Amino acid sequence: MDDSTRVIVQGITGRIGSIQTRWMLAYGTNVVGGVTPGKGESTVEGVLVFDSVEEAVKDTGANASVFFVPAAFVLDAFFETVDAGVKLIVVVPEHIPVHDVMKMRAYAIENGVFALGPTTPGILVPGKGKMGIMPGSLFSPGRVGIISRSGTLSYEFAGILSEGQVGQSTVVGMGADPVVLTNLADILRLFEEDQDTDAVIIVGEVGGEQEERAAEFIKEKMTKPVAAYIAGRHSPQGKRMGHAGAIVRGSAGTVAGKQEALRAAGAEVLESPIHVARWAKRYNLR
Amino acid sequence: MRLHEFEATDIFEASGIPVPRRGVAETVEGALHVAGEIGYPVMAKAQVLVGGRGLAGGIKSASNQEELEEIAEALLGSEIKGLPVRKILVTEKAEIFKELYVGITVDGYSGKPVIVTSTEGGVHIEESARGAPEKITSIQVDPSIGFYPYQARTLLRKLGLGQRLLIAWADVIGQLYQVFSRFEALIVEINPLVVLPNGGLLAVDAVLELDNSALSQVKHPLPNRMERIENPLERKGSEIGVTYVDLDGDIGLISSGAGLGMASMDIIAEKMKPANFLETGGGITEELLYKCMELIMMKVDLRGVFINIYGGINPIHEGAKGVARYIKEHGVKIPIVAKALGNHQEETWEILRSAGVHVVTEVATEKAVERLFKLVGGGT
Repeated sequence: MDDSTRVIVQGITGRIGSIQTRWMLAYGTNVVGGVTPGKGESTVEGVLVFDSVEEAVKDTGANASVFFVPAAFVLDAFFETVDAGVKLIVVVPEHIPVHDVMKMRAYAIENGVFALGPTTPGILVPGKGKMGIMPGSLFSPGRVGIISRSGTLSYEFAGILSEGQVGQSTVVGMGADPVVLTNLADILRLFEEDQDTDAVIIVGEVGGEQEERAAEFIKEKMTKPVAAYIAGRHSPQGKRMGHAGAIVRGSAGTVAGKQEALRAAGAEVLESPIHVARWAKRYNLR
Repeated sequence: MRLHEFEATDIFEASGIPVPRRGVAETVEGALHVAGEIGYPVMAKAQVLVGGRGLAGGIKSASNQEELEEIAEALLGSEIKGLPVRKILVTEKAEIFKELYVGITVDGYSGKPVIVTSTEGGVHIEESARGAPEKITSIQVDPSIGFYPYQARTLLRKLGLGQRLLIAWADVIGQLYQVFSRFEALIVEINPLVVLPNGGLLAVDAVLELDNSALSQVKHPLPNRMERIENPLERKGSEIGVTYVDLDGDIGLISSGAGLGMASMDIIAEKMKPANFLETGGGITEELLYKCMELIMMKVDLRGVFINIYGGINPIHEGAKGVARYIKEHGVKIPIVAKALGNHQEETWEILRSAGVHVVTEVATEKAVERLFKLVGGGT
């Protein structure tokens, strides 16, 4: 996301879509159009609405899209958006069926699309613009990158840093679902390559193997300092059925296991969110 | 949502997978009746939604009526791993030549279905997976192309099987994949898939876990999800549309977002004990937070409440009205600390303060929890 990003809002005429469009515009985001099938030629917050992504892209030169589409229509809208040539897609809605997400992920990879979500707060570049629902007031411009599985915890970390006069370069919500459209390690790679980022914070949580795989990337490729927090130490573990998950994932998934893997890879493990302030100070981050 | 073995077995059977003769019973008489139809020996299996039933004593074999009577009497109304046994499944007892394993699940990292097979099926499959990984094979399915039978044959060839077993087993995998796909399942599993002395196959267990987000897309009658939830508070949480987990502490929690909720619990648990986990997701309204207050206050011995919400997608000023209304209507006396930041934060603070809520405006959750700790007079 940069100065050339031209954003369309899909599901712009919905309750959440229209409110969030107002917030995105107020934050300075270059919103060039909206899409709701059947509502073409109306306007929302002064933004022209189109019936299809294809028309929106043709008329506005849009190259990015943020979704506020009802869960049941997300799969269809996603394919439509990829086919229209949009290369950056942020899928905000929650409760998308996992089988749908698997298809979306495969299609995005096949077509070279960078997509975030589902269940993501989106992406925000402080002072520049945002695609999604992050509340702008908590963020401030600077040189620390944040990647978070949880939406609201990304606000917490950015807010704590901002309070301590430490700004952020880009804040990315990777999405909280069991399958996400882009994995943690792949987002980490972008931060490693990003000239505006000096250090990265990973905000993870119990379950899955995103953090363990990210640790492999940190160990092999990462040169910038990384701090990581993993939520869920005191979360009760649900009763498990079936063995397939355990066989596929091995020992991955526990908070202790993730912390161990990240520590061994050279990342600083934060036991609590507030410790991020001390870490930032130690590396003299701004 | 998880299905019981007897429900999953019916679905597997309809898809062509060979399954044992069986019947489900809620009483001892019912169990004896089923066994009379099938003929002894039989297996009696507690229908509880948890793994490791067998090792916990939930699966027993009976060679005659007296034995079954005794087993059914003991199982029905008992608890297996903390879950009540209301039904038992009575099945024919298969003669076991060999036990195989087959499971299909979603591999979260690759974002693809993965089929796992092993010649070492049975209750110790996970130990086998760790101790003898060469006896486990797996293959990923490309979600945009779907499953084709050659994949099952490729997978099984690695296990060094004879031609006849390979073909029969590959058939079962194909049928199981159909179930996985048609039901948009998170897990389908047969453990063990029994090889009979005559070379035939029989699925003597059935695991099927569905994706709650996909239930409305499944074109097959399904049990009521709410009725499956044993804990009444957790059921009520599900009904009002939030995730609620009942815990044994005395500090109530309302949070927006699972990550923030888990972090809040971790921080509370440093010095106090959370009474619950509750996260609203992105659907906060005045009504929803009123109901959330109602839900967490059902635990009468609460010493304090912590509300940790962000105004991103959520209109927290609307939610605050619900909290304030609950406090006024019910004359809540215990301390409530709220951290509410983001869009409409000032308006939210004002509403909460006017209802007597202690509002903390610093970002770090630790500060707010510290405030609550002082207000409730320390830990327990």
